[in-house]
Amino acid sequence: MSSALLIEDLVKRFATGKPAVDGVSFDVPAGEIVVLLGPSGCGKTTTLRCVAGLEHPTGGRISIGGRVVSEPERGVLISPRERDIGMVFQSYAVWPHMTVYQNVAYPLKHRRNGGGDIAAKVRDTLELVGLGDYAERPVTSLSGGQMQRVALARSLVYRPQLLLLDEPLSNLDAKLRIRLRDELRRILKQTGMTGLYVTHDQSEAVVLGDRIGVMREGKLLQMAPPDEIYNRPADPFVANFTGASNVLLGKVLGRSGDKATIDLGAAGRIEAWTPHQLSTGDKARVALRAENVRLGESGPTNVFSGRVIERRYQGMQTVYDVEFGGQRLEALELGTAARHETNREISLTLPPDQCWAYRDEGQAAVD
Amino acid sequence: MTATSAADLPVSTDVVRPSRRLAAPLWVLALLLLLTFLVIYPLLMLVFGALSDSNPVIDGFGKFNPSAKHFLEVLGNENVHLAFFNALAACGGGTILAVVIGLAFSWIVVRTNTPFKGFIAGASLVPLFVPPLVAGVAWGILGSPKTGLLNTALKWMNIDFRFDFYSMSGLIIVFGMYYAPYVYMFTASALRNMDPSLEEASEVAGASAFTTIFTITFPLIAPAILAGSLLSFVVMLGIYGVPAALGAPANISVLTTYIFKLTAWSPPLYNTAAAVAILLMVVTAILVWAQQRVLSGRSFATVAGKAFRPRSLNLGKWRWFTFSLALTYLMIVVVLPTLALVIAAFRKFMFFKDFNALFDMSQYSWVHFNSVFDNPLTMLSIWNTLKVGVITAVIGGVLAFAIGYTVFRTQVSGRKSIDLLSTLPVAIPGLVVGVAYLWAWIGLPGGLYGTIWILALAFVARFIPDTVKALSTSFLQIHRELEEAAWICGRGLLGTIRTIVLPLARPGVVASMTLLFVLAIRELGSSLFLYTSDTTVMAVLLLDYYEGGNTGKTAAFSLVQTAILAVLLGFTTWLSRETTTSARFN
Repeated sequence: MSSALLIEDLVKRFATGKPAVDGVSFDVPAGEIVVLLGPSGCGKTTTLRCVAGLEHPTGGRISIGGRVVSEPERGVLISPRERDIGMVFQSYAVWPHMTVYQNVAYPLKHRRNGGGDIAAKVRDTLELVGLGDYAERPVTSLSGGQMQRVALARSLVYRPQLLLLDEPLSNLDAKLRIRLRDELRRILKQTGMTGLYVTHDQSEAVVLGDRIGVMREGKLLQMAPPDEIYNRPADPFVANFTGASNVLLGKVLGRSGDKATIDLGAAGRIEAWTPHQLSTGDKARVALRAENVRLGESGPTNVFSGRVIERRYQGMQTVYDVEFGGQRLEALELGTAARHETNREISLTLPPDQCWAYRDEGQAAVD
Repeated sequence: MTATSAADLPVSTDVVRPSRRLAAPLWVLALLLLLTFLVIYPLLMLVFGALSDSNPVIDGFGKFNPSAKHFLEVLGNENVHLAFFNALAACGGGTILAVVIGLAFSWIVVRTNTPFKGFIAGASLVPLFVPPLVAGVAWGILGSPKTGLLNTALKWMNIDFRFDFYSMSGLIIVFGMYYAPYVYMFTASALRNMDPSLEEASEVAGASAFTTIFTITFPLIAPAILAGSLLSFVVMLGIYGVPAALGAPANISVLTTYIFKLTAWSPPLYNTAAAVAILLMVVTAILVWAQQRVLSGRSFATVAGKAFRPRSLNLGKWRWFTFSLALTYLMIVVVLPTLALVIAAFRKFMFFKDFNALFDMSQYSWVHFNSVFDNPLTMLSIWNTLKVGVITAVIGGVLAFAIGYTVFRTQVSGRKSIDLLSTLPVAIPGLVVGVAYLWAWIGLPGGLYGTIWILALAFVARFIPDTVKALSTSFLQIHRELEEAAWICGRGLLGTIRTIVLPLARPGVVASMTLLFVLAIRELGSSLFLYTSDTTVMAVLLLDYYEGGNTGKTAAFSLVQTAILAVLLGFTTWLSRETTTSARFN
């Protein structure tokens, strides 16, 4: 099966500085939703805009539905309107001088093969996004969430091969964002749309993406299904960005397969999963999530004895600062009751599967 | 599934090559050619005229002996020196007065609790709408040394003082009063954006409010004062109407009136006029450049980008003093001249035995209006003015839209040159545009000279910077993604402009076309050299009446012109407001 979207070695260089997109490659099979996740300035939006044709790449190749739409080396550049794509913008970009109906009907009226029963298509699509009763309203009378639904309907109504979404939820308030996020997933799956979605919000990425690509400084660090991103981060930045904020520093003692043993100094030794080719003597950093620290438990391996330095009660959860053998980490306990006291000796277990060891390339590799 | 290198991926085949790569360069070329035709060609012809001694009407362009000698002769001419220094004196004095008035007003409006501040702020901008010639005529009626209404009043009050506005000081006073708003606009916004804590710190340090104004406030807004005064100086330098009305009777020539005098001689000295026009243009360009430098390098520590509530000084009882000051200004600038025009227009004879004769109603009639409208030229000039206004607004509006879109909404190469060419006329006074267009077209047989199209084209060229600027703000308000969404939806560039950009920019387009229309119908400086008896416009006809020496007819036609202007202004404002409110934005 040919990919709905194929990006090969994409490079986009602006006038000055480092390239905004630096050799990114991935594909999106038909019917799949891929989310590009990363902090602002990581190149995810530029990648998306290159796919849309709104930005002209410096190098590499983009194909949509098996057709090359951009390949600067050969002088190929197809204009956005001939790429058969839909796009939902961060600012909604609904046209304020038109009604809801006019906005959604616009692409049908102006596409060569868009014709057919325009009114019926618009009506069906508005039903789909839950705006069936709003067709004749001026868009300016709608709320932000409703405007974004109009924008979504406008990009779905002509069933493009590929749907691009540029942080479509970031202008909405938190509650609405969650609701629309879940609904967006339903709508996209219901229509069988192929999507490329850009966001800096992990929870959006996890809920919406069949696969997530984490980007940083123009490079694609890892492209994998959400559970793999969360449980097997291939890079310390990915681990940190998705919330593994605890870092233990040590030296590699040995490695077998994807398991490594790290010497943490006074604290003892720890076993961890690693994606890197670590060799004995390498400096290593071990990342793990605060949620995965088992306080007060003694498991089969990676059991340490520590002391609670500080307790921060947050209502639904409690965060503890724990010290053990000169190392420090945060542990998170769910529930409204805080069970551990400060300044007490306490045993803690760090499950080896959830500790990830990386070659230590300094703090810069993480921030 | 983790495909992060190109080698892992299947290779795609089908390649489509795009076409239509030539459209953008052709479009840029077309705009550049058009601007060259409108701006550069006339300027080149002006230089040509200044450097030659052949008369384009008699000799044609064949006999052209370029030589700097002629130009240098003109620069060495005593009359030119005199006109040059008169202009510097009148505009310099006027600017100083304008700074005093403008600063006082901006301080009163922004920094005090003077009552009816909103009214004062609005009223202080009124002089901007008064055509210079009308202001000059009105002050001639008020302050002529013998028959001036002010002097009649003084005589009646037995005060042994007489005004003489037909003088350099009269010129300075009228300039200063009517061009103070330019200073006001700059200083008021600088005061508004100034961090009040800077002044508070001074007062905490022990300075009085008065000391603070002169040691902290005014020095801090010095760049704004400088920018405003340079602008008002430049505007005064290019004005023809005021010095024509007040300077001519006393034989005071400034650069503008001198240039016109040269072309009105027989035979007309077009070459000399071109040379003096270049002198005027160079001075203007230097000042405009200086003003832009001041504005771009504004290192106000005061403008901090956040919103302040401006400090409002409680003046106590003195606030009625500042209020009456503002009211007095308004009286002098608006009420008094209007009254003078009304009296002169309706009075059979402008001679008063004494002050009481002013109220002798048997002396008032419609006779001047009748004779104005008996003149077939009157209706013709009104008709021509409207035609020129509409043509200018339409051509200029379309051109400004094309330029604005190309410069502000596209990335095409060459847009910087378009921007530069379209901003160039900022530094060219209207009168110089007139002389340049005269040179550009007078010698060409069957050309534009003698039609109203040459007036319209000259106006388009002259006002294109203002129009583009007015339009660009409305372009910048349209979010880029609104356009991009339409491209994605399958629309081409032109279709997107028609269905998205134009409807959204409509209020701005209408407003800038309105502005252009108003500017065109009151423009005198460039019309002077381009009209013929068939294509005379209101502003020129008014000058004719004035120079004919009939005060009554002049005043009557001034009122007619002002009334037409007011009606058109009101109508177009209403029109643009209609479209603004009907286009709903968020």
